[in-house]
Amino acid sequence: MERHQNSVMRTPLNSVAVQRRSKNKSYRLSYRNRIGAASRLGLTPGLTARRLNTSRKAPKSNKITVTTEQLTLLVKTEWKLSYVTPLYRFRHTQLKIYSRQLSAFIAAEKQQGLAVDVEGTQNTFRVSFSLVLGMTESVDDAVTVHIQIHSKPLFAKQDEPQKPVWSGWLTCINGNPEYLRSLPKDFICLPLFCSSGAGGLTSLVKSWFQQSFDCCFGPLEISHTSLQWLMALWTNCQSESSIRQLKMIWTLPVEPQLQVTYTVDAEDAWELWSSVRKKNTAGEGEENSIDIEEVMSFMQGLKAHFFRHFRLDLSAGSLNEVSTALGSAKHSGMIKFSNSKYMITTLMLLTECALLKMPI
Amino acid sequence: MAAQLNLSGPPNSDLSSLTDQSVSSRTSNRSLRVAEKERRKNEAEDPSVLALKYFSDVEAGTPVIGNDDVERNLVLVEKVAYRNGLSPEAISIMLEFAMSLRMGHSLCPRVLKCLIPVTVVPQEAVVRAVAWLGVDKIPVSTQVLFIKWVLTVFDMIDAKDQLRAIYGFIFSFVSEENLCPFICHLLYLLTTKQIVRVFRVRKLLELQSKLGRQPFLLNLLSLYKVFCPELVTLSIPSRSKSVFKNHNMPWKSALIAVQKRNGSQVASSISLASASKDRTNRRKRKHHHLELPVLSSVVNKEPQTETSRRLVPLVQIQSVAELLENMDHIELPAQMGSLLGSSLALQYLDCVQDESALLRLNFWLGYALHEELLFCGDGGASQNSEESLQFLDKLLSTQHFLQEGFSSSEAFLYKFLNVWDGSLLRPQILGLLSNIPVVPSSQIGRLLFEPLMQLFFTSSVFFKCGLIECLNNMLLKWLTWHSVYALEDDLDISLNSHTSINMTLSGFKDSVMELVDFVGRLASIGLQLEGCHCLLLSCILDFYTMVCDMFLKYGLPLVVMPPSGVFYPALFATDPVSVDRLAFIMYRYKVNLTSAKSQEKLTEQAFHISRQTFREFNYYTVYMVNCLWNSKMFQPGTGVQLGEELLLKSNVPQYWTSFDLVHHPAFMSYAVDFHQKCWIGKKDIDLDSIKHQKPWSWYLQYLFSQGYDGLKLFVQSNIKAGQGDGQQGDGQGDRQQGDSLPT
Repeated sequence: MERHQNSVMRTPLNSVAVQRRSKNKSYRLSYRNRIGAASRLGLTPGLTARRLNTSRKAPKSNKITVTTEQLTLLVKTEWKLSYVTPLYRFRHTQLKIYSRQLSAFIAAEKQQGLAVDVEGTQNTFRVSFSLVLGMTESVDDAVTVHIQIHSKPLFAKQDEPQKPVWSGWLTCINGNPEYLRSLPKDFICLPLFCSSGAGGLTSLVKSWFQQSFDCCFGPLEISHTSLQWLMALWTNCQSESSIRQLKMIWTLPVEPQLQVTYTVDAEDAWELWSSVRKKNTAGEGEENSIDIEEVMSFMQGLKAHFFRHFRLDLSAGSLNEVSTALGSAKHSGMIKFSNSKYMITTLMLLTECALLKMPI
Repeated sequence: MAAQLNLSGPPNSDLSSLTDQSVSSRTSNRSLRVAEKERRKNEAEDPSVLALKYFSDVEAGTPVIGNDDVERNLVLVEKVAYRNGLSPEAISIMLEFAMSLRMGHSLCPRVLKCLIPVTVVPQEAVVRAVAWLGVDKIPVSTQVLFIKWVLTVFDMIDAKDQLRAIYGFIFSFVSEENLCPFICHLLYLLTTKQIVRVFRVRKLLELQSKLGRQPFLLNLLSLYKVFCPELVTLSIPSRSKSVFKNHNMPWKSALIAVQKRNGSQVASSISLASASKDRTNRRKRKHHHLELPVLSSVVNKEPQTETSRRLVPLVQIQSVAELLENMDHIELPAQMGSLLGSSLALQYLDCVQDESALLRLNFWLGYALHEELLFCGDGGASQNSEESLQFLDKLLSTQHFLQEGFSSSEAFLYKFLNVWDGSLLRPQILGLLSNIPVVPSSQIGRLLFEPLMQLFFTSSVFFKCGLIECLNNMLLKWLTWHSVYALEDDLDISLNSHTSINMTLSGFKDSVMELVDFVGRLASIGLQLEGCHCLLLSCILDFYTMVCDMFLKYGLPLVVMPPSGVFYPALFATDPVSVDRLAFIMYRYKVNLTSAKSQEKLTEQAFHISRQTFREFNYYTVYMVNCLWNSKMFQPGTGVQLGEELLLKSNVPQYWTSFDLVHHPAFMSYAVDFHQKCWIGKKDIDLDSIKHQKPWSWYLQYLFSQGYDGLKLFVQSNIKAGQGDGQQGDGQGDRQQGDSLPT
């Protein structure tokens, strides 16, 4: 498919996602830099709700060039999301070494007080790093890295093969180019970290990354707005691929807490969505974009419908979970892709969220 | 060899001088005849010298049993050793004698036990003895004893280069089970970066799998990890104490005794405890983002170059001296955040110029601040406030040490101010805020003023004071930066071209102007809101004490007058200190303006101070003099005007005098006191009588003697001396007019 690089960048002025001083010299900028460079304060837009892009391109069934083998590793698993600050001196060419180091690190941490040979291969945990080629949207995106940890069960038979016990990946899909370009060469920005497996292993992997690449991991929640965006983006796919149903879980702040599961039939959701879609002024063949206003009216429609039937205004509550046949997302930061075709759009949104969390 | 025999310490002679003598006689060939004679005499007299000669010359295979010579000579040596210690040469002889097993191994332990050095141990002797270890004849227990001895005197060995050269040879003994712990310790002391190799790591790991978790192996391996983390990895449980045992018991007491007797010439550390880091017990926390990373060396090194081979990991640096020595080839740690944990590392941070390194530090710091104070959804901040407090204090002291703020804490503050309640960790947050570097004037309103204004008007008077003080500190730091960098960057204020330098100066001026104006606004309204709270007023006057001197003290060509909302409350304050400080501020304004004016005339191109500023200044000065001096408060055309009938209605007699130096509520008590002292016994007090010529000048002297220097300076600079006396309330001429500055 043709690339539409500028379509997403159609961002209103006041909603620039993340800006960083383009010349972030150091904490010790010289007088001239400090005062001369007006750009250095592009830095921190206030904490306004409108920092996400207010317009994004409609998802299309992207033909991603990732091999099916690798794709199966990514879909149908529920991932826990984290954001990661840029990795210092991460080299995509040294994955083999990293595999060895990480497995030695895990072994050392599991057996406190026992030194482990990094070069050795006799570890109970086998780690494999691999590149997921083809999963990028723009030239600035760093290549996605997939990590898998295999191990034998504790009481396994001798010849039993090792099983995957943990997997995770670091990715950056269509990251803000201004931000990415402002980083010095030594840094690789893969802001989104998805993990699945035992929590203990997750934290070991994280601390290995922290010690090796001087980065930091923080939890990434999917905000209310992002969930609504996902609903709209997924519903928009209905014409190409059935979403089967649109399911939302709301929590209402009453005593005792009330949980509302609100399911809308795919066709109905599509009809509502079509009705709130503005007439596309763009000519044939041009990229279809979705505005935040449309998302909001879509939500309004859904809430109004619910109110008519149950006399309950969902605006008072909070949206905790959305799911369709294409995937599901939870406020707590869990995501699942059920259909690889629309994965990229979702990942773009999540990358944006992760970049918003960057401290600088 | 025989010539050196005299070097053992004879029992009753001054050892240090003897040693000196020996050294000189060894190194120089010009052996004086006198010294020669003396030596011969010593030799003849001193039986211990003969004893040493015996041990150096004794034939191999001489029997021990029934040999009275050996016994007698050994006792002699022992006596000297335990009393005064053995000289380097004596040690060489005895060590050689013992390790070569010339008289079998039965005497070995006894000889080793008496090897108490008095000054240093010659490295050659140790190397030779180690070589004897390879000759497979010495019993294991003696071998152990020997290594223990080496460990004990390690710090007294005069050089270590040859020992390092035979590292591989020493290493080969690790496989001997009994020797292993001691060999590991010795290796630990000798290890350098170049020595750490894969095959050695393998060997040690192999031993580990055989012997299990032995602290000595672990210690050595953890040192290997410091140098080459890419070869070995391990995690040391925090509870295990990873220190080598003290093996030096047999010699310790004797060594201490000898050193005490000799006035401890060699400062050797008896405890050769390895440099295992004190791992403070970390409390268990749910979140770890405020934990400082542990200082550790980088695992994935860049391809090795000539220079990188020489790099010293920061973990290895233990003292400032070492730091200075290795300043230009220090390897930064794996995690930059760890620098904040050690004061030594902070010294180094001050010199770090690497952009990426500082960015790493800022990423970590920003992350910690964001996670702790911004992203904690469930009010986590209040739960962990103790940790946050310590963390922020640490950050503040670091910034204080570096005299600069981190850009990540700046970025954090811009966000945090929008959600801050003004009370959480107030001193710390205000402290961080005052470290913010100059903010461009186009951004300053949105980033700083808007959130601060909201906080200011909704918080208590103490917050208001705190904020003013904080902005005062901020301005101070900006001005200091300016005065430092203006010099450094060769900023010439008279530069007229449209260079970027000129732009930056005007940009800086704009920012300062914005800040001063902002504080002026806050101060005016704050004073109204708080009823001219005197603490707040004091903070505000602090601020203007700095503002009025910006030109002369900090070289910034900018003069900003306080707004009337500050001027009048200070002038009419009920405490004399505020009035005095205002007088001082006005005096400094005058000095600054006068000097600016003269500079303007001098260089022609000098900066331009607007007429408005002069007008304001003159206006304030005239008003002050009228009010305090001339008793003409409500002159037409002044800022404070009230209708004539309204004033009459108030029934205040002589209302125009209400704020002169006698009737001003701040000075009234002084006037009364003065009156009582001046006219002793006079019952009814007539304050107006002070205004007569003589008492007036006395009264002024009296006031100035109370410490009101500001007032004194103000009066001296604004009122001509000759006309100052005999001031009457009738307003017979404005004394200050001659002094007011032309606009």
